[in-house]
Amino acid sequence: MGEFFRRLRYLLQRNRFDRELENEMEFHREMAAREGRKNFGNDLRLREQSREAWGWVWIDRLLQDLRYAARILWRSPGFTLTAIFVLALGIGVSVTAFSLLNILVLKMLPVRDPASIVRLQRRSPEITTADTPYLSFLFYKNHTKTLSAMFAVMGSPSMELNDDLQPVSVNYVTSNYFTELGTQVAAGRLFLSSQDESANAPPIVVLSHGLWERRFNSDPGIVGKVIRLNGKPATVIGVAAKNYASNSGQYPDLWLPITQESYFVEGSNAITDAVGGAAVRMWGRLAPGITAKVAEQELLTLTNELRKQYPKLIWDKEYIRSDPGSHLLVLEPQMIPVFSMIGALVLLIFIVACANLGGLMMARGVAREHEISIRLAIGAGRMRIFRQLFTESLLLAMLASVIGLTLSYTGLRIMNAIYGDDKSTWMTFAPDWRVMLFTVGMALFAALLFGLAPALQMARQRQRKTIARQILVSIQITASCILLIVSGLLVHAVHHTLYSDPGFGYEQVVSITPGLDSHGYKPEAARAYIEQLRTRLLGLPGVTSVALSKESLLGNGFTSYITTDIGGHPVNIYPNSVDPPFFKTMGIPLLRGRNLLPGEKQAVIVSESLARRQWPGQEALGKKFGDNKDVVVGIAGNARIKALNDGEAVEAYWAAQPEDLAAMSVLVKTAGAPEGLVPETKSIVKSLDPKLFPYIWLLKTGFRDSTQLLENTALAATILGLLATLLAAVGILGLVTYAVSQRNKEIAIRIALGAKPQHVLFAILRQFVLPVVTGAIAGTAATAFVSRFLHKILYGISNLDPAGYAGGIGVLMVIALIAALLPARRALRVDPVRALHEE
Amino acid sequence: MPITHMPKTDMPPGALTLLILRVLQSGSLHGYAIAQRIHVLSSEVLAVEEGSLYPALQKMLLKGWVTAEWGISGTNRKVRFYRLTAAGRKQLQSEVANYDRVTEAIQTILRTA
Repeated sequence: MGEFFRRLRYLLQRNRFDRELENEMEFHREMAAREGRKNFGNDLRLREQSREAWGWVWIDRLLQDLRYAARILWRSPGFTLTAIFVLALGIGVSVTAFSLLNILVLKMLPVRDPASIVRLQRRSPEITTADTPYLSFLFYKNHTKTLSAMFAVMGSPSMELNDDLQPVSVNYVTSNYFTELGTQVAAGRLFLSSQDESANAPPIVVLSHGLWERRFNSDPGIVGKVIRLNGKPATVIGVAAKNYASNSGQYPDLWLPITQESYFVEGSNAITDAVGGAAVRMWGRLAPGITAKVAEQELLTLTNELRKQYPKLIWDKEYIRSDPGSHLLVLEPQMIPVFSMIGALVLLIFIVACANLGGLMMARGVAREHEISIRLAIGAGRMRIFRQLFTESLLLAMLASVIGLTLSYTGLRIMNAIYGDDKSTWMTFAPDWRVMLFTVGMALFAALLFGLAPALQMARQRQRKTIARQILVSIQITASCILLIVSGLLVHAVHHTLYSDPGFGYEQVVSITPGLDSHGYKPEAARAYIEQLRTRLLGLPGVTSVALSKESLLGNGFTSYITTDIGGHPVNIYPNSVDPPFFKTMGIPLLRGRNLLPGEKQAVIVSESLARRQWPGQEALGKKFGDNKDVVVGIAGNARIKALNDGEAVEAYWAAQPEDLAAMSVLVKTAGAPEGLVPETKSIVKSLDPKLFPYIWLLKTGFRDSTQLLENTALAATILGLLATLLAAVGILGLVTYAVSQRNKEIAIRIALGAKPQHVLFAILRQFVLPVVTGAIAGTAATAFVSRFLHKILYGISNLDPAGYAGGIGVLMVIALIAALLPARRALRVDPVRALHEE
Repeated sequence: MPITHMPKTDMPPGALTLLILRVLQSGSLHGYAIAQRIHVLSSEVLAVEEGSLYPALQKMLLKGWVTAEWGISGTNRKVRFYRLTAAGRKQLQSEVANYDRVTEAIQTILRTA
């Protein structure tokens, strides 16, 4: 340790030490001279040798190299700016992608002791769900010893606040919820286990900061006031702080105690009924010294005990799975291909940028040949030259990474302003140590990629290799080609989705979910209610048909599907239970056979796509389908309403049964604009039963929302693709310029001998034809291979869609041609007399 | 090519450090005096080259075997004196012991082989 500090002290007082040494040697020399000896060699060199003992010489060399590199770069601003621009883009894009990954899956949420929180989910070999019955949650919570606390959130339909038109979003939470998350308070207090656990306590509500600001003008006097939610009075006890962060990713307008759910939803048995009751999402906090595995073991034992009490509640082989609970996104295995795909595309940009810069560096090598041979001639070691050249690359990479980081941060802020919500105010895009480390890593990696080979070549004075240049062009074209085709595919997919017939009509349909089931309606009551509603709706002017659907379409609600194996391929079948007017209402044609009869059993209508896959080349009508051997009575047109983004989804429809009625959505089709129908529908639903707070939405809004993601993806891919092309264009431009300058003399001779312009151009560009073509072919092949992983988000077009490919390759070729021709024209302006005189 | 100074008499590697430590045992000396002392004590057989003396001294400063302090030379000039530290004494002991062991071993071979 002492040695380290002495070394450090030396570094800090280097100048003083140096002077002392000089003084000392001078004294030595004086003395030696007095005695008539004179062999005190080169003073400077001896001092340098002595200094080496301290081990800091590398810093001197590095500083020297850096100073030199800075001077060199400063002297050719054109090259420096281009290089920094190209590399900043390449690094910036990867840093942006990494920052997003960091925010989503690496960073911990700013909650209390985030590392000890685990997300707990029900699993069985067949079933994966985030939802756990409230009764199970209570059982685990009351019996666990490995978890020091458990908390849960239950979703809820939106509620009416006082008499506002705008509904508010609501979460029911356990009384320890805010304490466990460590949520700060802006006014009043939050829920507390000690006071708010009882179901009979007076009804209370906690407001979000956003709602408090928006609706109550941040009035601190709101605490203690009574508000009405769906007509039920409740006292506001407090407001959560603005920076509230949640493991559930939910940012509702207000929170209610889960124990008071049946007060707010009259007739609800959500938290009392074991099997039919509502589901919660749950988290646990690991007790000190307990690992997640140990907790899982204990929960498995508890699950098996619970099965003895409620055999129906627990599945076969059920267990509770734990995952680290404090990230914005828990990385599921099925997300890995998507993340890898994005990573690969981003890396391609990076590679294009590096290949590009490698080309520029090599081109510069020609100009610096002279300088380097002089330095070698006056005694510089090749290693030293190499180190100096590589330092230049490092300096470039570091400058570029600073700018890339700035670009990325700005980009993220802009993206957040456009797409982000204003609720997760705790979220920050400021680079943390992971992002910094990544940026430095990418800069070093880039310097290695683009700087190593040219530096080696230049130090060895061997840079006239055409093959290296050709490989660089190939790499750039391949990578740009992949990016452009992928963006071409995505753009085409968006157009296809937005502007082609999806197989069903949604423009004029309003969907209503009355929520009969959550208010405890029995099947008979539900039937009566729905019949009345249907009659009233059909009486409205413009309404042409009314239908029922068990699946909620293009709006809220979950999507369930059955995966079956047909001919060795997994096929996702989207089931629905409907009544006969469904097909007419949704504009789905019945191609063959007949419609379902009301309440009919043992009968099914399948989509044409399902019929074709299940019974290829045969008549599907009359065949037996599914576990219950239902008879196929009709074939409907393909309509992937529940899976717009899954080109291979197929559908099956059964007739709704009486027990389904309480959970069904009502679809209303109108001849005119559907917007006007919403208020009338709402008043009809409420006049039939004032307890109900129906959820009403336009299918066309839902359709827009579900294609929004694809539009954004396509936009991002297009930006990446264009960026790659821009970079490739800069690269080709640079390399052709280089080729022209390198072959100046040859061109001059050709012109002097009377070569025609097109011959000169051909001579220059010939060497680029092969790599461009190779690159395009390799890129196309690579895309055809990897795009198989994309087919899920290519709404309705093939991953080998010719339009996407032709578009991508076409754009690339035009840009490559322009980038090559612009500098090649310079060759035509070569003055043979001057060029030949230069020698 | 760097210019190298060949010492007049080859000194076994590591011996210079040992000799410097040894001559400093009796008191602090400046660089030139160290070279002189070694030269004289070896009956002018060993000559310490400036090119190896100062790097060796720097290394010993780094290791903490010697410290430098300002003093006045015999010619009345301000100059750095080197003084042995406790660590330097320990190093001297172990180097002497080591040197004895090695020389003895070499002697044994020379006598008996």
